[in-house]
Amino acid sequence: MDRTLVVLLFASLSAATAVFGAGPFALGQRLPLSRIGFANAVASGMMLGAAYGLLVAGFERGVTAVAGGAVLGILFVAWTHAASGTDELDLNRLEGGSEAYGYQVLLVNSLHSASEGVAIGAAMAVSQPFGIFMALAIAVHNVPEATVLCAILTGRGVRVSSAAGLAVAANVSQVLLAVVAYAIVQAAPGTLPWALGFAMGALVQLVMSELLPESYRQAGPRSIALVTVVAMGIVVLLQSVAA
Amino acid sequence: MTPVLTVFLFGLVTAVATGLGALPFALLRGVSPRAVAFANAVAGGLMLGASFGIVAEGTAYGAWQTLAGGLLGVVFILLTQRWLGDPDIAGATTADTRRMALIVIVMTVHSFAEGVAVGVAFGGGPTLALAITLAIAVHNVPEGLAISAVLRPRGATVLACAGWSIFSSLPQPLMAVPAFLFVDAFRAALPYGLGFAAGAMVFMVLEELLPEAYDRASRAPVAVVVSLTLVGMMLFQRML
Repeated sequence: MDRTLVVLLFASLSAATAVFGAGPFALGQRLPLSRIGFANAVASGMMLGAAYGLLVAGFERGVTAVAGGAVLGILFVAWTHAASGTDELDLNRLEGGSEAYGYQVLLVNSLHSASEGVAIGAAMAVSQPFGIFMALAIAVHNVPEATVLCAILTGRGVRVSSAAGLAVAANVSQVLLAVVAYAIVQAAPGTLPWALGFAMGALVQLVMSELLPESYRQAGPRSIALVTVVAMGIVVLLQSVAA
Repeated sequence: MTPVLTVFLFGLVTAVATGLGALPFALLRGVSPRAVAFANAVAGGLMLGASFGIVAEGTAYGAWQTLAGGLLGVVFILLTQRWLGDPDIAGATTADTRRMALIVIVMTVHSFAEGVAVGVAFGGGPTLALAITLAIAVHNVPEGLAISAVLRPRGATVLACAGWSIFSSLPQPLMAVPAFLFVDAFRAALPYGLGFAAGAMVFMVLEELLPEAYDRASRAPVAVVVSLTLVGMMLFQRML
């Protein structure tokens, strides 16, 4: 199979797993906030582990380029948060909030997915197994992310099936950016360490500015830290064993 | 000079270098909540960056052993926290004192593993000894910075920050010597030790430093400081 198609396939699969995030709501259950916090903590740990993998792969190809890319990735995420007015957005309000709140949350998720797309595309360019691993890690991470989104949307009166659809739609930027990042890196191989650094910086910044602060409020710091560190350890282990 | 003395002296130099990390804090005055938040963010970024480097080294010796060591490191912090007591209970140490004690303990324990890494590296051949010593000495400065970032805004003097920073690195020369003498035995233990150090540091950052930082300042600037410091630390370690 053409390698670009493989990128498209796995990025799409990863985006589509968001539909499972609506599972608990389809079964008519309401999730307690602490449960969502743990889901976020798992996502944080997996993304930090993925960032570690991107960093190790990048440093084999150029240290300063990776650092430069990482700074760009951090600033990109910080800037998109600030420019969209979502930098201090509270993602915990399952009910209430302003009219625009639901849209803002959707916007945050779309921007967030774009960076994950770059991670998949850049990892695919390193090697296909690493790329598939990255796509799977992000696929797993997309489930709790979609759960949070569905909790917010259904709390505001959106039907479960529509919420599930919107959760997948918010990930479309992930598929697009994965293919674009892969194509750019294939056309100009010198950009690979930059792309790896960018993805790494963006993932770390997403964890630090969105996922962790949210999850600390949803559940206590100790349990969040435990879940995050274990999830991170497992992802790091899987990457090291596979390499 | 005997090789053992050389290893010990070189190790001592690297420990003293840690004290330099207190210097930038000579200018810091006042203990505003924002100062604590951003100092925590800097310390957190430095420790996460250091952990990434340590994990990369540990997994080269053994991935499973590194993970096992990491889990032990987490358990160690949980036990230490229990030993220090719950800060909410009257009569126990205050949250600040507790956090100051914890950072010194974590960084000291992490130096044991680093000392072993130094000794094993020296055991590989004496030609690189000076280069390795210099690299570790420079690499210790940000660790002193991390400790001072936690101690200084909570009222410790600059001299106390430097003193505790040096103290935290003393296990390096102490562990470097036996590791140098018994390279093979210590090499087997190295991934566990490195994993332990990384697990303890990451857990301390996630459980103590970051939640407090988010409580005391807006999360967006805190996040940028943590992320940029992490990348800076990784770059710093790789350039040396």
